[in-house]
Amino acid sequence: MNLLEVKNISKSFGDLQVLKDISLSVSESEVISILGPSGSGKSTFLRCLSMLEQIDGGSISYCGEEAVSSANGYPVYAGKKKLREIQGTFGLVFQNFNLFPHYSVLKNIWDAPVHVQKRNKSEVMTEAKELLDKMGLGDKGDYYPYQLSGGQQQRAAIARALAMKPKMLFFDEPTSALDPELTAEILKVLKELAAEKMTMVIVTHEIEFARSVSDRVVFMDGGVIVEQGSPKDVIDNPKNERTKTFLRKMQAEE
Amino acid sequence: MKKSIKKFAAALMAAAALILPFQGIACSAENSDTELVVGFDAEFPPYGYKDDNGEYVGFDLDLAQEVCNRNGWTLKKQPIEWNSKDMELNSGSIDCIWNGFTMNGRESEYTWSTPYVDNSQVVIVRSDSGIEELSDMSGKIVAVQSDSSALAALEGEDASEENKALRETFAELQQVGDYNSAFLNLESGAVDAICMDIGVAGYEIKSRGDGYVMLEERLSSEEYGIGFRLGNTELRDEVQTALLEMLADGTFDEIAAKWGLEDSVCLSADDQYADEEADGSADSVSGSSKEEKSFWEKAADISKQLSKGLLASLSIFLLTLLFSLPLGLLITAGRMCRIKPVQWLAKLYISIVRGTPLMLQLLVVFFGPHFLFGVSTSPSYRFYAVIIGFSLNYAAYFAEIYRSGIQAVPKGQYEASAVLGYSRAQTFFKIVFPQMVKNIIPSVTNEFITLVKDTSLAFAVSYTEMFTIAKQVAAAQTTIMPLFIAGVFYYIFNFLVAFIMERIEKKMNYYR
Ligand SMILES: Nc1ncnc2c1ncn2[C@@H]1O[C@H](COP(=O)(O)OP(=O)(O)O)[C@@H](O)[C@H]1O
Ligand SMILES: [Mg+2]
Repeated sequence: MNLLEVKNISKSFGDLQVLKDISLSVSESEVISILGPSGSGKSTFLRCLSMLEQIDGGSISYCGEEAVSSANGYPVYAGKKKLREIQGTFGLVFQNFNLFPHYSVLKNIWDAPVHVQKRNKSEVMTEAKELLDKMGLGDKGDYYPYQLSGGQQQRAAIARALAMKPKMLFFDEPTSALDPELTAEILKVLKELAAEKMTMVIVTHEIEFARSVSDRVVFMDGGVIVEQGSPKDVIDNPKNERTKTFLRKMQAEE
Repeated sequence: MKKSIKKFAAALMAAAALILPFQGIACSAENSDTELVVGFDAEFPPYGYKDDNGEYVGFDLDLAQEVCNRNGWTLKKQPIEWNSKDMELNSGSIDCIWNGFTMNGRESEYTWSTPYVDNSQVVIVRSDSGIEELSDMSGKIVAVQSDSSALAALEGEDASEENKALRETFAELQQVGDYNSAFLNLESGAVDAICMDIGVAGYEIKSRGDGYVMLEERLSSEEYGIGFRLGNTELRDEVQTALLEMLADGTFDEIAAKWGLEDSVCLSADDQYADEEADGSADSVSGSSKEEKSFWEKAADISKQLSKGLLASLSIFLLTLLFSLPLGLLITAGRMCRIKPVQWLAKLYISIVRGTPLMLQLLVVFFGPHFLFGVSTSPSYRFYAVIIGFSLNYAAYFAEIYRSGIQAVPKGQYEASAVLGYSRAQTFFKIVFPQMVKNIIPSVTNEFITLVKDTSLAFAVSYTEMFTIAKQVAAAQTTIMPLFIAGVFYYIFNFLVAFIMERIEKKMNYYR
């Protein structure tokens, strides 16, 4: 069973069609990197997957549960209760972290599991501390987000997402707001997660990282998936002209 | 001692310009030979008031006009706030008070013309009230104009024992700013009776129709004169001479007849000036009991009186916050609601409340129930009306502050909450609200400080808070000191508010 099944989704903002008939399946433990020039619709795609945006057409299923189905070409969202359940199966990590500034790092992590998932607080606290240790933030639990560096904030945000015990994690350019030296510490964390068989969809501009960590690379441009396959195929032997141009530009920048 | 107080008062006159509504301090003393500035209460018919055409007219103004004509002066009619009449006169912004001005009890405070109207204090009630004689007024709420002769007759220093005893039987003696609001209060049921001058009473009953009657029994008799600045006998003599001329050739009686006052006038060429008559006695009075008190004793007395008002102001402040802060949140919710009509309603509410004066809103809240819906208002409603008016008003301002505070919370906070599965209520109360509070503290502090000062607007519905008391005491003692002390009290009040808010702001700085 695929953890995520996206079929023929489309999304427009007014007259601007941002996603055009996109389909993608993600199986358990798979790590997928999405590459593509800015404005190609990568963020919009992840936001549709995270249900921050409603799609205009197509269907999306998580762990075999249909969140949006397609009826006569129109999307039909499942009921509130079902969507809430489905909500727990995925997490999203933002480019600019979006930690809650008025909560300590630790509270950022335990609050949602306790108040949304209604889990036992002491259990959650123990797990939250373990997660912080794992992220190398064992001594930062009582700090407020503004007291952390960007890399530390992003690690805290990843811990916050993990505390919800999601089946899959989406990352929208998790290192773009960080200095190069801080980027490395986040990529290291992602690699560790991949080694632990976490299912992940990562939008990134880090070509080398995508090559080393991904099972599959997806190249998007102009709201469509132009090319996808193993890193070897897409990054080292791109077939499509647009992919080639994009990669040449990226490599020239590096 | 008296001198030092006078000096102090004189020094504070300059400060008065800051505290009082600016009344054109152009010193009229210099050009008094060409212009006579008459100060009058523009809500005191038939002596001086605004007629249907918006002109200032009245018996006293006609007399003044005629006196000016005979002396070759131009008349300037200067409506004044009655409580500030002494400051107006002493600062030179008016030359005299000529406005059904009761001499009794004030003999030594002004240089007077001879009395020209003999006036009594009477009681007016609603025709259906069942009150027929003074003894029926026991347990009733009675209105008088602040610093009016009716007030003096009932509880002034020179009030007769009889009147003082009568006043003791009242449930309450409510001071109001002007007769119009006294009648509004009477009609709406907020008060049961009004005590006022007979001349005014006759005019009011005639012009207001059948709803009111005047009791046969009277409170006391008194006389009207023209009040000049103490010592300004030169101007007084010129005016007096012209008046006596008018009496001799019949013009005076003609004017009196025109205003229906022919039975009340009492100007006589044989009368002596009050200050000459009372010279010895007046001095001995001021030399003994009254002026014995030192400056600090006086200040302490005034502070004691003001502190009662301060308590009233404080309760307006606290209760307004108690109700307007949550109400504002409700309006914000409406304002940001996705249902359009709700949004429009909230928008309309905010626009009306912010677009009209608070004073008007207070009047509408207090008098509205009676004049719009015919509900008779109970006396305790006065305080509720103040709180309701202020709360409704401040809620609109808070609503807009909340909205800007909410909009300043980054979109990412909502998105992170949504992905973590927080409900809409959880997102608002756990994530957005605390951040909003931090965002708005500086603006809210501003509103708090404005509210402290705005409490003085409660005078519009005759609720006696600190500033009203300050003006009354200032009028009664003919010094500006109470206003100055009130200013100090407001400052301390606001200093504390600012201090507390600063502490809260610091506390909120645990995060950024
Ligand atoms: N909320 C929105 N309203 C209107 N246009 C949007 C909105 N979000 C994104 N877009 C537009 O959609 C296109 C794709 O944006 P985005 O998904 O952010 O691209 P990417 O993440 O690949 O850079 C862009 O042209 C962007 O301007
Ligand atoms: Mg993007």
